[in-house]
Amino acid sequence: MKMVLIAGIIVHLFVSALCAQDLSGSEIIQKVNDLFNPESAHGKSRMTIVTTSGQKRTFVFESWGKNRGEKSLVRYLEPRRVKDQAILMLNHSDDIWMFFPRTQRVRKLATHAKKQKMQGSDFSYEDMGSGDAFIEDFTAERLDDEKMNGHDCYKLELTRKPESDVSYSRIVMWIIKENFYAIVIDYYDEDDPAQHEKRLTQSDIRIVDGIPTAMIAVMHNQNDNTQTVMELQEIKYNVALSDKMFSERELKK
Amino acid sequence: MREKFLIRLAHWHTHYPWRILPVVIIATIALGWFAQQLTITMRTQDLMPEGDPKVDEFNRIIDEFATATSIIVVVQGEEQRIKDFADDLAPRVSELRDSSQNEAFEEAIAGLQKRITDLEKSGNKTSEINSLQDEIERLQKRIDMQLFQRVDYKVETDFLQKHALMLVKAEDLKNTKDVFMDPNLTGLLTNLNNSLEKEYVGQQESISTREKEDQAVGFLDGIQQLLQTLQKAANGSPLSEMEVQTAADKFLLGEPYFLSYDKSALILNVIPNFSIMDRDLIMTGYEHMQLLLDETLENHPEVRAGLSGDIAREHDEQVHSEESLSFTTVIALIAILVMLVVAFRMWVAPILAIVTLFVGLIWAFGTAYLAVGQLNMMTALFSVLLLGLGIDFAVHLISGFTEWRAAGDGIGDSLEKTFLKSGKGIITGALTTIFAFSALLISQSRGMKEMGIVTGFGLFSILLATLLFLPVMLVLRERWVERRRKKKAGGQPVVAKDISFKNLGRWAEWLGKHYRVTLAGAAIVSAFLIWSALQIEYDRNYLRMEPKGLQSIALMDTIKEKFDLSMEYALCLANDAETSRRLSEEYRDLSTVARTADISIYLPSANEQQERAVHIADIRKRMSSTGIRQSIRRREFPILIQEIERLEMNIIEMQDMAYFGGQDKVDNKCKSIVGDPDAPKSANMIGDLLASLTFDRAKTIRRLSEFQQHFSPYFRQSVIDMCSTEPITLADLPVSALDRYSNPERDKFMITIYPESQLAINSIALNRFVDDIERVSEKTTGGPPVIKAWLQIAARDGRNAMMLTLVIVFFLLWGDLKKPGYALMAMIPLALGAFWMVGIWQWVGLLLNFMTLMGLPLIIGIGIDDGVHIMHRWQNEGRGQIKTIFASTGKAISLTSLTTMLAFGSLMFSVFPAWAWFGSSLVIGVGACFLTTVIVLPGILGMLERKTGQDNELITDEIHRPRIIERV
Repeated sequence: MKMVLIAGIIVHLFVSALCAQDLSGSEIIQKVNDLFNPESAHGKSRMTIVTTSGQKRTFVFESWGKNRGEKSLVRYLEPRRVKDQAILMLNHSDDIWMFFPRTQRVRKLATHAKKQKMQGSDFSYEDMGSGDAFIEDFTAERLDDEKMNGHDCYKLELTRKPESDVSYSRIVMWIIKENFYAIVIDYYDEDDPAQHEKRLTQSDIRIVDGIPTAMIAVMHNQNDNTQTVMELQEIKYNVALSDKMFSERELKK
Repeated sequence: MREKFLIRLAHWHTHYPWRILPVVIIATIALGWFAQQLTITMRTQDLMPEGDPKVDEFNRIIDEFATATSIIVVVQGEEQRIKDFADDLAPRVSELRDSSQNEAFEEAIAGLQKRITDLEKSGNKTSEINSLQDEIERLQKRIDMQLFQRVDYKVETDFLQKHALMLVKAEDLKNTKDVFMDPNLTGLLTNLNNSLEKEYVGQQESISTREKEDQAVGFLDGIQQLLQTLQKAANGSPLSEMEVQTAADKFLLGEPYFLSYDKSALILNVIPNFSIMDRDLIMTGYEHMQLLLDETLENHPEVRAGLSGDIAREHDEQVHSEESLSFTTVIALIAILVMLVVAFRMWVAPILAIVTLFVGLIWAFGTAYLAVGQLNMMTALFSVLLLGLGIDFAVHLISGFTEWRAAGDGIGDSLEKTFLKSGKGIITGALTTIFAFSALLISQSRGMKEMGIVTGFGLFSILLATLLFLPVMLVLRERWVERRRKKKAGGQPVVAKDISFKNLGRWAEWLGKHYRVTLAGAAIVSAFLIWSALQIEYDRNYLRMEPKGLQSIALMDTIKEKFDLSMEYALCLANDAETSRRLSEEYRDLSTVARTADISIYLPSANEQQERAVHIADIRKRMSSTGIRQSIRRREFPILIQEIERLEMNIIEMQDMAYFGGQDKVDNKCKSIVGDPDAPKSANMIGDLLASLTFDRAKTIRRLSEFQQHFSPYFRQSVIDMCSTEPITLADLPVSALDRYSNPERDKFMITIYPESQLAINSIALNRFVDDIERVSEKTTGGPPVIKAWLQIAARDGRNAMMLTLVIVFFLLWGDLKKPGYALMAMIPLALGAFWMVGIWQWVGLLLNFMTLMGLPLIIGIGIDDGVHIMHRWQNEGRGQIKTIFASTGKAISLTSLTTMLAFGSLMFSVFPAWAWFGSSLVIGVGACFLTTVIVLPGILGMLERKTGQDNELITDEIHRPRIIERV
């Protein structure tokens, strides 16, 4: 009996390894993309930026996402000056609205704003809510596996499709084999695929509602040598969110 | 051969001191004259390899474009006062002339003319005559030379009043043209709000870069000026025509003065009639400018002003480098003198050593002038370097001579024995150091190569001075002392003083006997320091090289802080305006570039002008057809109030966006208009205006109507004037703009490229920026490309020179000590010392940089001396004499190490951090090599003696040293 169990385990490990070995770039990126875009989510985060005069500024915000990132809402809690300021992103950040509590007005940002820095951080709106961009805008190729930050990882290279207009010509990512979580993502310049522009490093990965989640994400801008740290303070997945809350009218509430 | 030479030299000194002395004096006078001609340059490009295309291009730009380097006057104070100061100063600058050398130039011209006449008489010397005539022409320009071309401190308003709209991008014109279509107050504010809601909030990218952030601040500044004037009008304060017009001009064209964001500082860019390469004119120009500034400041006591910019910096660095070197040299000389007096327990010999060193330094400076002509940031240090090393020769010579004299030998015998015992070590030590320095000759960089040349020649000069001059002085002094002694004491011998370091001898003996403990301890310490050395980092922040306490440097920080203007920029030349525009666009497309400045700012392309002309014509048409209302109607008033409220909301939203985006300049500007949300009691200009407007409605309407009667016609006419659709050509551009971006022949155009990041503190950003801009054009030059190339070359040169030095030193020692094993033994303290040095650097917080890297090959050349002297003595003395060797030669190497450390240590007082690091690193290096010599070498020698028997046989030398230690 014992022998049978051991043999079973060996066969299972062998088959798993074989399966993993067989995974193609597009299969892996599909799994990564699924993890990146949960059906819905609600969380609270803390983000620190550096201003143009070199001061550090920390924001705390609550965020909601629905339809695998197609709709998202961010509402600021701190500092006091921006309390209740909110950003609504629809259609994977193609449409962005901003609510200003001091004037009680909502303004729409231009479509191309998605490529701009989000709130002076090293993240762009596109980085925050690009939905299925990894699959739709890039072709994935699997490179040799590598160890990254102590994890056995798949290494993928994503090359922008000719018809796409995303901000990065190329993306290289390291994905933990165990759970398909991308722990490091290198972004390359829109025009020059050789120029490394940003690196996203995700750490403190915990399983929340059965989904691996990085509690800390650091985006390092290679050009400016600046970095933005985003700490996830609370997160819940698969929460019930009404479509109504992702509307211009609700933004003011 | 060497011994014969040394014996003969000693003989000459003993018998013919008065013949040698005049030779020394004549050589000192001649080389002193050359030494006086030596100057210092502190520019990084003067460290680069000769013929480097980047440096050549940089120099060409500097030479051709007077605007590439300038004096920047930084004025600080209250806005109106600093503007008044600038208006007072600017016209007087172009009157500054240099007539101080008129007579000399006139004489020189007369001389040249006479030569031309002579040549003309002799015939067939046309080329020489032409070059003489060129020289005359150059000298004539120097007579009563106007030092500065002009002062730029305002924008080219006349040009902008006609062409401003043509300089706005077609897309921006399309978005903002509504603003220029109604000159009446209500219409203007309505259009402005529409535009703001469309432009600023609708296209967030508008303020996403630094350049656009500046544009937003300028735009808000114009609105603020308009609101201030409206407030005055609403309050019923008298308003002059000029004030109303200024408000319209600032709204349309922006601030005319080069003011800081907070309006507390203003800069005047003084364009010289000379380049930064002309050292004399830099000095003269700076001094005249400083004098004028001081005079003008007397009439404006509430204003502060100082000089900055490349030329002021070059002036300050030259003056301070010379002062700093003189200061540190004096400190070093005094410290060395005091130390020698204490060590030798006498005054005369140390003074003679210092005088010898002084003579040697004059020779060294003279030969340096003959060899390289000018010192640079690195070679400027050679005097301190030579001071530290050169004194060693005299210390060894005096040490030996006094010991022999104390032992009772005659003057001639003492000198001969000193030459034979110490002279060989001195010459070997000097030659190893000279050859070690000569390894720097393989360097690609001019800085390091010239360092090898000047230190090599310099050390040789001091060696010569020590062998020729010091013995003469010692002989003459001893003769005098003997004569006095005979007179006073009737020829009785003097009791010899033991001035050896007995404790050091005993210490070394103990270490030698317990060599296992010694070597084990040394191994543990070495292992720790080697580990520490491997942790050391390369310093990538070249901002730390900036000298401290110099006005020009401090003001550069003010410029950076108040104007956000970086002095880090790259330059590129284009052969025509079209190429300049194309390159500028390519540079601007790079993510590492913040902005560019070139002729295309004033000269859009023909296509661009055509596109813009369509919108401009539209603006003109609509503005011309809009009537001016003489009064504000009652029913219009609520709309006006509503529009002002809307403007407040727009600015508040702009402020919040800026706060979110971390754009502090826009946030601060908004605070000055709508108040600070974090400080509820802060002034809200729009709030105050609304309160004034609604206080007495009838009165306000009347006052605003009066304002409109003055403002609107002027505004309308100004807009119509700006609507010229005539294509702008190069000939239309103001001279100041042309001079700024093109050469006098107008066939070369300069593009200035500013980086997005602060490069000085971030070498990754430096590399990326330079790589990017060089991809656009290989000819891109300027500070960042030169510095990047220099940092790479310096690291490579330092490493190569160090390897070669090690090889050279080994072969020299092998030749000198006869056995490769002995050569390796002499090198052990050095090798360990080098690791200890780097380990201690890391431990005390020093980083690797181009100056400390240069210290590595130097320390090999310097640090080897201690081991060489001990090994020589060990060979001469025979085995079992470790105590004696370290008591006597140990004393000499202690003193030489201390003197060297004092000399290098004096550099720590320098205002130039690079020199201070160099000094600190070498102090640690010399100290480490000394420690390894007096700790590790006794252990090795002890082990060797134990392993190979302990007889007292002499190894090479037949001459016994005086046993004064045993005798006393």
